[in-house]
Amino acid sequence: MTRTLAEVLEQSGIPIRLQVGGKAPDAVVDREVSKEPCPRAKKLRDLYFQTLSSATNEFPYWYTRKYSELEGEIPVVRRAAALKEAFSHLTPTILPGELLVMGKAHYYRGSFPMPWLSEGYYMAKEDELYKAALSKGSSSVDELSKFGSGGGNVTQTFGNVVSIAGKFGMRREEIPALLHTAREWAGKSVDDVGHKYEQMVPTYPMKEAIMRSIVCMFDSGYTLPQGREVINYYYPLEYGFDGLLQMAKEKKAEVAGRADGDGLVGMNRLYNYQAVILILEGIQNWIMNYAKEARRLADFESGPQQKQEYQEIAQRLESVAHNKPTTFREAIQMIWTVHVAVLNEDAISGLSPGRVGQVLYPYYEQDKAAGRITDDEVLEWMQLQRVKFTCIDCFASMGVVGGVLSGNTFNNLSLGGLTKDGRSAANDLEKLIIEAAIRCTSTQPTLTVLYDDKLPEDFLLKATECNKTGTGYPAWVNNRGAIDFILNQYGPEGMTVEEARALAIGGCLETSPCSWLPLHLNAKEYWIPGGSGQPTSVGVHFISLPKVLELVLFDGIDQRTGQPVYSPHGKKLESYEEIVAVFQDYFRKTVDCLTTSNNIQHDIWRKQNMAIFNSLLKPDCLLNGHLIHELGYRYNGTYNVESCGTVNLVNSLAAIKKVVFEDRATSLEEIKQALRDNFGFKTASEVGSFSLADQEKKEESGKWDYIHYLCLTAPKYGNDDPYADTILKGWENWFCRMCHDYESLNARPLYACQISVSTHAPMGMATIATPDGRLAGTTFADASLSAYPGTDRNGPYALFESATVWDHSLSQNSQMNLKLHPTAVAGMQGCKKLLALTQAYMRKGGFHIQYNVVDSKMLRDAQQNPDNYRDLMVRVAGFTQYWVEIGKPIQDEVIARTEYEGV
Amino acid sequence: MNTVMQHMDCRNFAALDVAKGICHRTKELVLADTEHCEHFVATQKCKFCDHFVAGDQYLGTCNAVPSKPMTYPDLITVTCEMFTAAAAKA
Repeated sequence: MTRTLAEVLEQSGIPIRLQVGGKAPDAVVDREVSKEPCPRAKKLRDLYFQTLSSATNEFPYWYTRKYSELEGEIPVVRRAAALKEAFSHLTPTILPGELLVMGKAHYYRGSFPMPWLSEGYYMAKEDELYKAALSKGSSSVDELSKFGSGGGNVTQTFGNVVSIAGKFGMRREEIPALLHTAREWAGKSVDDVGHKYEQMVPTYPMKEAIMRSIVCMFDSGYTLPQGREVINYYYPLEYGFDGLLQMAKEKKAEVAGRADGDGLVGMNRLYNYQAVILILEGIQNWIMNYAKEARRLADFESGPQQKQEYQEIAQRLESVAHNKPTTFREAIQMIWTVHVAVLNEDAISGLSPGRVGQVLYPYYEQDKAAGRITDDEVLEWMQLQRVKFTCIDCFASMGVVGGVLSGNTFNNLSLGGLTKDGRSAANDLEKLIIEAAIRCTSTQPTLTVLYDDKLPEDFLLKATECNKTGTGYPAWVNNRGAIDFILNQYGPEGMTVEEARALAIGGCLETSPCSWLPLHLNAKEYWIPGGSGQPTSVGVHFISLPKVLELVLFDGIDQRTGQPVYSPHGKKLESYEEIVAVFQDYFRKTVDCLTTSNNIQHDIWRKQNMAIFNSLLKPDCLLNGHLIHELGYRYNGTYNVESCGTVNLVNSLAAIKKVVFEDRATSLEEIKQALRDNFGFKTASEVGSFSLADQEKKEESGKWDYIHYLCLTAPKYGNDDPYADTILKGWENWFCRMCHDYESLNARPLYACQISVSTHAPMGMATIATPDGRLAGTTFADASLSAYPGTDRNGPYALFESATVWDHSLSQNSQMNLKLHPTAVAGMQGCKKLLALTQAYMRKGGFHIQYNVVDSKMLRDAQQNPDNYRDLMVRVAGFTQYWVEIGKPIQDEVIARTEYEGV
Repeated sequence: MNTVMQHMDCRNFAALDVAKGICHRTKELVLADTEHCEHFVATQKCKFCDHFVAGDQYLGTCNAVPSKPMTYPDLITVTCEMFTAAAAKA
């Protein structure tokens, strides 16, 4: 009879305990906090639930058509003209009931490919796509309802809809034009040109081997070259688009033909300002096209309320297209328009709106005082904004969107933190933003509280109430620790303590540099925060630490593919110290070759595909005339080295050290054989589950049982056990500092970034069993500081002790996920317990913690009956996602996380 | 190419996604590929434009500019300043 690992361990007297601190009730317990959205938001969110992720060729078509006309033009101007053409021709769609309007494409949940970045991933399936496009499509009527289950992902072709990149639907009538458009970029895209030059790096063959073996997850410069940053809405809010155009025209005249002491790029300012003018004109056209559409709809609308709403939409857009906003409603429309414009300019995930409650506060304060708006009306607008953000999709390859992002787009809204002069920055509008997120639960924008001891308790308790909706937001980030990191990294570029306080989280939990700028509204001045740094989470993406250890143990040979990745080290690995030394050597080689390759990709990006609109928003591009490609941003030291699988590495090193070199209970050679044979278990793919506990034994020989027992019972991270924790501390101190030895294309040092997003699933699938007892193909521990499921046996405070043995401000972030049963935090007492738990971690120096308040039994039921759970959300990594749109490996992993029954 | 006018060819059709949309007249969900109703008003698409010359496999040419670039029949052109309705085609 086949036995699972859980059964084997139960019979051996060392059961996997996936519940800690008590026993969950037998019946499924729902989340305690559950409210309804306002009717308008509910209707629009319900529409979202029925909407398929849809791609169109409209933007690429117009962009490419104009770009082709302008052969010989200066690159930045050529790109700006192409962007203007594309924005000017986007079809405006306004749905009944919408107040906040405009979107990425004419579909509600629309997106589009950008072949100028990369075209290969869908061109590779050209024949397949052509066949699907040209075959006669049967009516979609019958198939639609069937396809609707499982969320909005279009994973299969149906009717007249072709599945593209594994997630998006495209009308079959558009496929030939899409392919025609994409072919025009073959050999010219950032991907293709970058590939040509990265091959000139001597270590390129090793880079290829690293990517094939999934030591690293994906390239940087042509996939999602921007994002994981905080947008800056200040300039359009302060000057309006007409004001910005005027400024750019004056500056253009000022710099035309003048180097002004900069012989290298001083002359480029003329072209940059010309590009700024073109893109601003394109965005004005785009807004005015929506205004015209609103007027058209108003003209034939018979319902008086809807007619009036269309007229008001038109008025708002006509104003926002030219002038600085003067009301809350205009301001929220303006920042949404600006946000979408940036997203349409480039392939971006993690464009965070930043501290929206503080940016919009001036309008809120003055409108409320003047009786122009009520809190209930603000609450409605904030819910509508949530629906709009949730509709954002990002078109990229399946590996990126599915394997890394789980379909999420990471628009992270930060709350709290400090003001410029060091006081609590929380305000009443932020409490309404939290209330809107409680009522209109949705994946976007996710929320983060910048925790500081100065924040008022009522604000903090409001945030804990939101946690109890089970949506996973807000995450909690240590504001003081983040300031320390910002000062360390950006001090050489002029960062001060005062400016560091403007920080916000970009993407999942990427600490990002921001600045204060003075907004003027009716003669009153407000200092508002906004992003002032380049994209983060660019550079070296996701190095799989357990995979590197596998390559150390097996002399550079990938045990999954049998192919060499690194040059053989030839060492006998006779001591723990020797293993660590070889690991560090391989890791350094990996970082070096990935840095050089990705620097080239990003350099091609900035030469040919530079951000123009996003640049003009960021201090100090408009003033100095230099965009992102000429380091016009105030802070440019934003490149990083990302890791995945930290805890499996630490636990594996602890097992080797203890079992092989200290206790001498077995040899390293025997452990290696056991790893190759997966400790006598089937692979995760064979079993169909990616959770450790579900894995099944191949046969009952028991050949590796004793060694597996030794590995599983070796010291584990997360139990306040100095044995494993010392290894973590050593790793962090080395890793965070070694990153500074590598230089980005901007000639700034790299830093450590420790988020896994969803990579712990595919990277786990590509890695054989590990010495900590984890089996082949199963996911790694989530995040960077969550315990491996079932191994944290001493409760959350012991876990916190383990997690804080190192200085988190050495890194851009760390990540801790905790799963709590709803009964553990029930009632007002539960809110207080949750706050106390959070404060305990923050005060120990933990950087980040977030909570899944959910009953694991509900997740198991949702896996079996997805149709009943269309709106169920869980926290995966630094983001919340609809359960039905997550791949099975991550679902298994979230189910397997240790569930705390009491705090 | 589609020869029967469908909901997605109608100016009252607001696309939700690749398969369906909302009719601005009725406020109801309608499937993109189903035949139009009595409220039908042709929207602007290349295939309804005088400058459009049809080619093979859902491709065509735009004769509105001297370079005669590629275009495609179902490209929506409500924002195209060169669109000229071709009554016979519509």
